[in-house]
Amino acid sequence: MQVWTKLFAKSPFKPLIKHSDVVLQTVETLERALRLWYEGNYEEMEKVAIEVDRLEDVADRIKEEIRDSLSSKFLMAVAREDVLIYLHMQDKVADAAEDTAKWLLVKRPKDIPSDVKELILQMGTESIKAAKLVHEAIVQMDRVIESGFIDKEIEREYEIIKAIESVESKIDGLDTKLMQLVFEKENELNWGEGFYILNIARTLSNISDKAKDAAERIRLMMNK
Amino acid sequence: MVSVDPWLLITVILGFAMAWAIGANDAANSMSTAVGAKAITPKQAVLIAGVLEFTGAYFFGKSVTETIRKGILYSDKITDPQVLVYGSIAALLAATIWLMVATKFGLPVSTTHSIIGGIAGYGIVYAGLSVVNWDKMGQVVLSWILSPIIGALMAYLIFKALTKSVFQSKDPARSARIWSPVWIGLAFVVIGTMFYIKVLHGKDLKTGVLFYGIPLGIAVFILSYFLIKVRFLSSDPYIGVESIFKKVQVVTSGYVALAHGANDVANAIGPVAAVYAVATMGLAGMQVPVPKWILALGGVGIAVGVATYGYKVMETVGKKITELTNTRGFTIDFSAATVVLIASWLGMPISTTHTVVGAVIGIGLARGVKAINKDIVKDIIISWFVTVPVAAVVSAVIFKILMFVG
Repeated sequence: MQVWTKLFAKSPFKPLIKHSDVVLQTVETLERALRLWYEGNYEEMEKVAIEVDRLEDVADRIKEEIRDSLSSKFLMAVAREDVLIYLHMQDKVADAAEDTAKWLLVKRPKDIPSDVKELILQMGTESIKAAKLVHEAIVQMDRVIESGFIDKEIEREYEIIKAIESVESKIDGLDTKLMQLVFEKENELNWGEGFYILNIARTLSNISDKAKDAAERIRLMMNK
Repeated sequence: MVSVDPWLLITVILGFAMAWAIGANDAANSMSTAVGAKAITPKQAVLIAGVLEFTGAYFFGKSVTETIRKGILYSDKITDPQVLVYGSIAALLAATIWLMVATKFGLPVSTTHSIIGGIAGYGIVYAGLSVVNWDKMGQVVLSWILSPIIGALMAYLIFKALTKSVFQSKDPARSARIWSPVWIGLAFVVIGTMFYIKVLHGKDLKTGVLFYGIPLGIAVFILSYFLIKVRFLSSDPYIGVESIFKKVQVVTSGYVALAHGANDVANAIGPVAAVYAVATMGLAGMQVPVPKWILALGGVGIAVGVATYGYKVMETVGKKITELTNTRGFTIDFSAATVVLIASWLGMPISTTHTVVGAVIGIGLARGVKAINKDIVKDIIISWFVTVPVAAVVSAVIFKILMFVG
């Protein structure tokens, strides 16, 4: 009876996890670029920054595939809108990483004070944490469904979401610190450099903002 | 060499074709959850289904059958044996044609409903609308609507209870060790009772539960409790629990195949037995004996249907259903078996196909399956409305032609 082959649709969760993998790779590659940038190895940095752009394209393609496969005819464990909006948020994490890479490619800075560089690198490391946690959160969401929405698993999911929120507020703190630092040093930096640094910082903190938005969506998925 | 009645020969061939269609069509219903959840391979599924469908048909099929399935016509209005012969042929041919068409288009149709439609069709042409037992027909219609709904409700509740009991506690590995045998034991209480009612055709539910269901359930509970105690496979409770239910699914799905063979073989061979009775004894009574060779014919037909066409269906199912886990598969089997048990006890002609599909939807509503295609609900409703009338019309036309020619 072919009724069986029509009955079950493909779950969106495995593809969502795959998408999250690519997003994580994108952020990790960006962090590599930041490290090279910190060391002043601009040659290599540019190659790696271009790789960030390529990975973001891969993430986009997977996003489109998932979108096309989610028919409104499906009865799903989580609402279709939630899945689609979550996917959109998760994809924004990679977009934000690509934005940072773009700023890195815009110019080769002459000499940026090392404490500023220090802070930027720290922000990069923290945003990887955020992206890793998003990956963990979507894997845990799969498990929540597997368990039939058992409180214990939902509890664990909330812990992950909280962790994402705390990373986000940490990056916010670093971002504020960096802005203050840039204006303290306004006499050492020309306007172009200041503009450049502030934008790198802004796009970096954007990564964790988007991660937080994605986490928010997962919260909504759970309490239907 | 005894000369064989040509009409009997035709009926035998048609009966075999109908049995083949039942095997081709319904085989997947008993085995799909097990194949989909990777508890067995399609090859194993065909072997298990073929052997058990035949066993069910041959050893447990009714040795006496009604000439008119489920008493859908007032048989006292059909006294002419010739009419019974032509009618049986028309009904069989119509049901077989419809089943094959439905299989082609992938509609979830019920074999029982097809044959009922065929019989009603020739009855109406021969003796008018008053020949149909409309109370019975009303019951049939009611069961179309009830079987998926009750299947869904049952699966919803069982799924909620199963996940709560196994996964909810502080230490899921421990609660899985305790609760899995309870669920497996419960399933076997149902299986034992079903065996008594469906396979041995026992009449008294109490006897079934007390002497078959409960002892079997307790025995299986004790056995599985110790087996799981000795070798709980994984530190991850989910993987551990799934691996337990994987083994249980082989048994539950095999049981569904056995009951299906015992039950549905009558759809194919009832009319054959009716014609045989006319040919050998010239009688057209309410009930006729079914010789063993006719049961074997039905059993072989179903097994051949499973092996030839059913195999393809299973292969597709194995590739397509990648999302079904063993706990879900078990829940579907368990719910469907329980609903069919209650329906048999109440004497309702319930459709296994519709009950199983209902159970899947029920788990979906309990947020247990990641994605179900809602189109299937539409397909079920279409098949309700279409099966009986189509089989009836086709059967009526064939009957008219036969009366004209014969």
